[in-house]
Amino acid sequence: MISQQVPSSLRDILADILEISPEEVTPDLSTGTVDSWDSFRHLQVILAVEGEYGVQFDPQQIPELTSVSLLQLELEKKGAAL
Amino acid sequence: MRNDSERQDLRRSLKDAASRGDAIEAVKRGRELLGAFSKPSDVMFCASSFAGIVDAIADQLRAKRLKTYVVRSVTVEPILPYLATEAVLANYVLDLQVGGYGSYVDELLNPQSELANFKPDAVLILLDLEEIAGRLPDLCADGIGVAVEEEIEECLARMAQLLRSFRSGSSARLFFQGLVVPDRTSLGDVGDANLRHSLTNAIQQLNQRLAALCGTISDCVFFDVDRLAARYGRANWRDERMFLASRLPVSADSFRTYSRGLIRSFSTLFRAPRKVLCTDLDNTLWGGVLGEDGPDGIATGGAFPGNCYLDYQKYLKQLSSRGILLAIASKNNEADAREAFRVRSADLALSLDNFVAIKISWKEKSDSIRELAEELSLGLDSFVFVDDNPVECEAIRQQLPDVAVVMAPIHEPWKLVETLSEQPFFDAAVVTDDDLNRLSEYKAQAQRAELASSVGNRDEFLASLEIVCTFQSALQAPLSRAVQLLAKTNQFNLTTRRHSATEVEAFASTAGGQAVVVRVRDRFGDAGVVGLALVRNQGGSCYIDSLLLSCRVIGRGIETALLAYIGEHAVRTGAKLLVGEFIATKKNTPCADFYPDHGFTKRVPLGEEGQPGSVFYELDLTTSVPASPKWITLEGNESNDLSTSAVLSS
Repeated sequence: MISQQVPSSLRDILADILEISPEEVTPDLSTGTVDSWDSFRHLQVILAVEGEYGVQFDPQQIPELTSVSLLQLELEKKGAAL
Repeated sequence: MRNDSERQDLRRSLKDAASRGDAIEAVKRGRELLGAFSKPSDVMFCASSFAGIVDAIADQLRAKRLKTYVVRSVTVEPILPYLATEAVLANYVLDLQVGGYGSYVDELLNPQSELANFKPDAVLILLDLEEIAGRLPDLCADGIGVAVEEEIEECLARMAQLLRSFRSGSSARLFFQGLVVPDRTSLGDVGDANLRHSLTNAIQQLNQRLAALCGTISDCVFFDVDRLAARYGRANWRDERMFLASRLPVSADSFRTYSRGLIRSFSTLFRAPRKVLCTDLDNTLWGGVLGEDGPDGIATGGAFPGNCYLDYQKYLKQLSSRGILLAIASKNNEADAREAFRVRSADLALSLDNFVAIKISWKEKSDSIRELAEELSLGLDSFVFVDDNPVECEAIRQQLPDVAVVMAPIHEPWKLVETLSEQPFFDAAVVTDDDLNRLSEYKAQAQRAELASSVGNRDEFLASLEIVCTFQSALQAPLSRAVQLLAKTNQFNLTTRRHSATEVEAFASTAGGQAVVVRVRDRFGDAGVVGLALVRNQGGSCYIDSLLLSCRVIGRGIETALLAYIGEHAVRTGAKLLVGEFIATKKNTPCADFYPDHGFTKRVPLGEEGQPGSVFYELDLTTSVPASPKWITLEGNESNDLSTSAVLSS
């Protein structure tokens, strides 16, 4: 199950990259709910998350990780220390 | 590594500084943050904080603001925040615009392209192997490659056409990125090394030829990205996964290294190198303390640890060979230090003759450096100071903030050269003959000063120098020197316009316009090309857009000779008025009264002429023409021979 709270490390990365406040980073936040999350920002999000947690996503999966909860779920699957 | 609460503190103070518009504090905190932490989100945080205060950064830090267009065939968007951040740390504000993936040819060739309409100050050209020489990997596969040379020539011709065509329509500075040598090839390491036409050899050859091509285009720098990739490891330079999936040319781990290296090379397009390296002696130029260890006890020479210092001395000597002046600032007894240079000469790579000035005393080093600046007629921002003592370093930082300070690694003397070479202060893409002559020129300066003190009056002294001025077209002289003077001259520079080579050419090639340089020599030596004037005629008036003189020849009447030369040209081309312009800067007070001193009168600017801060002066050429001082001998073509057409036909 997805935890209702976004881990602070993930929240801060997303806030920095999407240039929004950490409070706005909820599990539901997605490419559809915030304008700044466009395709280039998405690549930045992915690269920053990979760097932070030492994981790599399959490029075919990258376009599908379009919300905070999906990202978090995938990170948990990969055993990242959130 | 510092802990997360420090990181949060730094981020908070950066954010606070940014929100109250304190750019100096914000950039300082950003520098600290990125010095200690290198998380991607910290760079993004800095980038967005800086982006919110670009005007304040330009105002308060006097950062150069540059409209910069990126011509590319790869994905650069995720790298841009890194680039913008490193630019701010190097004191530039880049207003970035990125072109389309496939449109680089059109952008560079079409005078109506998005690039042309953007009117950039700088253009970064970041193309990949596929666009520059996509056929090479196949052609090189057997290592014999009959067609490889031909392909390289063809690539070069194509790139030359793109760059030249762009240059003919724009004076923006050009920054051309070379190719990264592929790390894994089908020939394997040994085949790539031994077969003449392996891909590795072909790409290296292509890079060298592209660099040479850039050298033939004005204001164009070649960026050797392969050197960076090799320094930090080719294996991790590119993430194949992200390159193949998203055309990202550099791995996320290398974004910062890449951006920093790019900005460092880019800087040479806009900033002149520093001119003087002022070094400490004890535990910097040699190991140990002369006063305690004696001349035989200090460490220098072939054996460890003396060879660490020997390497540093050799590095300094190499800097000196291309025109960087060396000086000593040391707290010692001067006689002891001189003795050490004599007694240990066999173990030292430098002798006292290699130094333009020597300040060995018990005075404060800030006073010594100030004196040096005065004697050499150079600004403090031309100096780099190297010392092992943190207290001395801090004193210079506080008292002479324009001086760049490098702290010598006292416990790791083998890092002396590395520490110095990590700093961009002496970076230059061009070395001119005048750079090479600089040391002897400054020494001649000292001899002149001696003569001046022995000869009674000024006119007699100036006559005894036997000064000869030679006037030449800036296009003949070579052009790179003219541009270097425009970029570097601060004190005697009436308008401080940093024109590019293309703009200089434009002055020379318009009717009635002129781009003239003056070479100066006297009985003590040849100072080379030291002055420049750019003028254009308009409606019966001759406008002096730029007039400048290297500070080391001020006060000998050369500026007057140059003005007289322009005046004569103006009269010959039918001008009735000679119009001078002065724009005050922090540094150019020495020439503030240049025009009034030569009989010009101040005038009210006509319409929209000039720029904010411009003051105009005029001289009625029908009643008076400036005359050259009688102690100067003049040489050179008649001024009307200096137009481009005459140069081309001769």
